[in-house]
Amino acid sequence: MFTINGIRNGFFCAIAFGIVACASTPMPVEKLAVAKSSITRAEQAQAAQFAQVELNSARNKYVAAQAAADKSDALVAARLADQADVDAQLAESTARAKQQEQLVTEMEASLRDLRSETLRRNGTASPQPAPQQ
Amino acid sequence: MKRKSMKSLIAVALVCAVLGLAACETAPDSSAVLDQARSAVAQAESDPNVTRYAPTELDRARKLLINAEGAAKEKSAKDPTAAHYAYLTTQVARIAQQRAQEQAATARMKDGETERQKILLTTRENETDRALAQAQSARADAQSARGDALQSQAESERMAAQLENLQASQTPRGIVLTLDDVLFDTGNAQLKPGARRSLDQIAAFLDENPERRVQVEGFTDSQGANDYNLDLSQSRADAVAVAIIQRGINAERVRALGYGEEFPVAGNADAGSRQLNRRVEIIVSNSDAAIPGRSAGAP
Repeated sequence: MFTINGIRNGFFCAIAFGIVACASTPMPVEKLAVAKSSITRAEQAQAAQFAQVELNSARNKYVAAQAAADKSDALVAARLADQADVDAQLAESTARAKQQEQLVTEMEASLRDLRSETLRRNGTASPQPAPQQ
Repeated sequence: MKRKSMKSLIAVALVCAVLGLAACETAPDSSAVLDQARSAVAQAESDPNVTRYAPTELDRARKLLINAEGAAKEKSAKDPTAAHYAYLTTQVARIAQQRAQEQAATARMKDGETERQKILLTTRENETDRALAQAQSARADAQSARGDALQSQAESERMAAQLENLQASQTPRGIVLTLDDVLFDTGNAQLKPGARRSLDQIAAFLDENPERRVQVEGFTDSQGANDYNLDLSQSRADAVAVAIIQRGINAERVRALGYGEEFPVAGNADAGSRQLNRRVEIIVSNSDAAIPGRSAGAP
């Protein structure tokens, strides 16, 4: 039964299985997509201005993850994609927090003005607005 | 050949060194990274804003830390799995803190906006109150002015009405009201019913002006005996005074005097003039002062 043909067929089979096995260790396409969309969201949240270090880290890791995927290194690609994702999320949340803090600072300043204006207006009989200069 | 083998040995050593360095780079000491992850989680846990606003992210960081700790136990120190999870843990813990900070800031914005609205509302209310108060006080002033005007107008109208039928005239002695002789029958001191209305008015006037006194003076014409006329005038003055007192006026405020033919207001030559002289005058004081007596020539 073990003819040359059989051995050859077996060899082909093994190759075929090998290919299938390679295909069944999938590249982390989904993780890469998630990381990419997180980076986009961070960019939209003006992370380039408010969280540059984190955004750059995310971008670099995303590029490295793609490179690993191109080299069929699925594990490294997946980990780099995950890290790029959390870096991008941190960039986005940091940028949002900073901007919101800025708004709070502005709001508190305007509240202070409003309070003193109200006090002044109630404290004195004159209903005229304060001279601006 | 020896040289060649030496060269290849050095090459192998170099390659090994480079590989070793590379291994150090890709798999840093996982225990240091784990420590960092632990302290990041601890820091997030101690932030009250995180437990309040980002509990989901904090949970995620804790689970990642468990993964990292597990990988560190199961795998060798050089395996990058623990370091990878430790890194994710640190970043997610930071994300939790940033999200919490953003949420806290948003809450402060909301509070601030509420306070702003409150201040504006209070200001507006104060201004409205002030405007209302001004309007009200203006209206009150107007009302009180109008009220005063109305009151004084009403008073003078009432006084005028009270005295309109009494031929009142203002003199230095006071208001002089004259009741003519049609209120008495000839030679009689009995008041006729027609006098009642005039006396009611005088009594009402005195009732409303309690500080005023009244002096009733009787006069006759020159017809008849002097003594008789004097008695008649006194009797008529008394009758009027009694009628006033009967209407509730204190007797101390009322005085009656008979002057007879004295102080005529007209000549006694004709009937018309004589009629004018036959009269009773009621003098109402201008104040609580006593009414000065008549002197010759005075009205």
